[in-house]
Amino acid sequence: MITAERKPMAEIKAMLAPYRKILVVGCGTCVAECASGGEKEVGLLASALRMDAQIEGRTIEVREMTIDRQCVYEFIDKLTGVADRYEVILSLGCGAGVQAVAEAFPKMLVIPALNTTFIGETKEPGLWVENCRACGDCKLGYFAAVCPVTRCAKGLYNGPCGGSKNGVCEVDPDTPCAWQLIVERLENTGRNDLLEAIYPPADWSRQQGKGPRKIAREDQRSES
Amino acid sequence: MKADSNLKKVLTQNVFAVTAECGPPKGADPGVIKKKGNLLKGYVDSVNVTDNQTGVVRLCSMAACAILRQEGLDPILQMVTRDRNRIALQSDVLGASSLGIRNILCLSGDHQSFGNQQQAKGVFDIDSIQLIQTVRRMRDSGQIIGGEALSDPPELFIGAVANPFADPFDYRVIRLGKKAAAGAEFIQTQCIYNVKRFKEWMKQVLDRGLDKKVYILGGVTPLKSARMAEYMSKQVAGMDVPGDVIDRLKGVDPKDQRREGIRIAVETIGALKEMEGVRGVHIMAIEWEDAVPQIVEEAGLYPRPRISEE
Amino acid sequence: MDQRTAGLNIAIFFCQQLDVNQDKNRRSLEKELGPRIRFFPLPCSGRIDPLHLLRALESGADMVYLIACPEGACRYREGNLRAKKRVRYAQQLIEEIGLEGVRIEMINRTAEMPDDIDAIARELLARDAKVSISPVRSNAILSFMQK
Ligand code: SF4
Ligand code: SF4
Repeated sequence: MITAERKPMAEIKAMLAPYRKILVVGCGTCVAECASGGEKEVGLLASALRMDAQIEGRTIEVREMTIDRQCVYEFIDKLTGVADRYEVILSLGCGAGVQAVAEAFPKMLVIPALNTTFIGETKEPGLWVENCRACGDCKLGYFAAVCPVTRCAKGLYNGPCGGSKNGVCEVDPDTPCAWQLIVERLENTGRNDLLEAIYPPADWSRQQGKGPRKIAREDQRSES
Repeated sequence: MKADSNLKKVLTQNVFAVTAECGPPKGADPGVIKKKGNLLKGYVDSVNVTDNQTGVVRLCSMAACAILRQEGLDPILQMVTRDRNRIALQSDVLGASSLGIRNILCLSGDHQSFGNQQQAKGVFDIDSIQLIQTVRRMRDSGQIIGGEALSDPPELFIGAVANPFADPFDYRVIRLGKKAAAGAEFIQTQCIYNVKRFKEWMKQVLDRGLDKKVYILGGVTPLKSARMAEYMSKQVAGMDVPGDVIDRLKGVDPKDQRREGIRIAVETIGALKEMEGVRGVHIMAIEWEDAVPQIVEEAGLYPRPRISEE
Repeated sequence: MDQRTAGLNIAIFFCQQLDVNQDKNRRSLEKELGPRIRFFPLPCSGRIDPLHLLRALESGADMVYLIACPEGACRYREGNLRAKKRVRYAQQLIEEIGLEGVRIEMINRTAEMPDDIDAIARELLARDAKVSISPVRSNAILSFMQK
């Protein structure tokens, strides 16, 4: 899932300051799972915005709407006929959602309410951890399914740095050293052969290439 | 005529080598480097110049190496992969060789979050082992990453680091093996205070025959005080300062602790000289370069051999 | 000045486990104070959501209480511990818009407190007012709990 966190109210307020009619739009998928942009969070943020305006003696009109996915046009279309009654859309989608909504409404101002943070897993309730940087060339098969690109603070491919101690990373004692995990898992899964292999420089063009990446699948595309 | 690496000559002639570390200043004054260089001159075979160590911005290693060379020393260019991508790294390798720098030490580098530019983007395009491999191929095959040929290959004696005190312990020697296989020729280790653990590691090194593949220089850092020892033991990742070393320093009057620190360093070097497979010592006297001549003398490693140019 | 005299509107969320007769017990006070007091029974305090707390403030409450069972005595083990964290979250959010965090207060029932919710509420009303009338309602058209 894509994880995100709400921006500080002060930043959201500053961006919304000139506007009175606000459409607050949540997304029911990733950001709902990580409790930052689902229906509940839309309710909380809208309520806070309304109270804030009341405290300051301003009148604003806030409408709440949460769609299933902000990054897929079919769902964004639910905003058609609603959006144009507002001056601004405050999106609680991830960065992709914000942009997809903006693209669907070329004349609408769309403002992000969240800081999109990473691709990660829900480790336990209320704890999300990053574990993939979408490098475009998944190497997990060589690293016992522990991503060195993401989970090693230095992105090392060929073993732990000199700071790995007692299983934790030198950079953050609350984070396990990815290489401790890789070594253990390679041993536990009988892949000792990979312990000594030298992994060559990565192909970052798969990640950075020529600007934004695209996946085009003919079998999935419509005719028109 | 191109001068060869002095360090390489010393090591190939089976002399117990001495290198020391020199940290460049946080400013543009070349005088600081000259001064540090002249302190070390005659007492060491080669001088490491750190590359923005701990992520703190300092005068660049390459320029400092060039200055030391002018002063008649044999510099070792430390190069970390934290700050430069493969384009910049390979370009710097060529530049270093063109300036007459003949040694390179390849490292990943301390994480940027430790330094004074914590918001910097860590590059880590390649890692230290990939850098070793890259430099080796540039030198021996005259090729950069991707296989394109160089008009003139760089001439560099290639080094790497090893930390016998980090975890996972049994993987440490495997990692050394990877560095040797990647093309490292000499190894400088993390500071040794726990001689017993270092010996255990050296045994694994000998068992794998790695001492035949790389020259190993044991790292030694003189402790200035019991406080420094405690700090290193607790705060510096991958550092192993055993309690008895700390107690020994605590046992002497604070004003004599520097003297005691030097004594410990000299004793450690004594132990290293006796150890099979250890081919030299690397003295990292952090902001205390003037301790080096004394340590070298007391360790019986002075004068340094003068190796003639062929 | 006590909260009642200060004219504060009070919303009380509470765990039903506290008072089996809560339905009956709270009636007299509701009659007496009308819209100035509102009770919101929850099956367990752990069911509280920050959104409930904010909506209460938005609808004109000056103080919002959440009354839970004593720590360690939650029927559902840790409902009241979870509730505590959610209250903290809501407090932080209202602080961001300049409302005092103390407008939301969690109370773990103690042995000294009365048994029925009506008496507990009366005790709360008699406490010293920590805040004045909320700017959310003083600056806007009052619509306390009318919806
Ligand atoms: S190797 Fe690449 S694709 Fe695979 S988990 Fe890591 S970042 Fe993601
Ligand atoms: S301690 Fe482990 S995870 Fe942290 S930077 Fe070093 S190798 Fe990577």
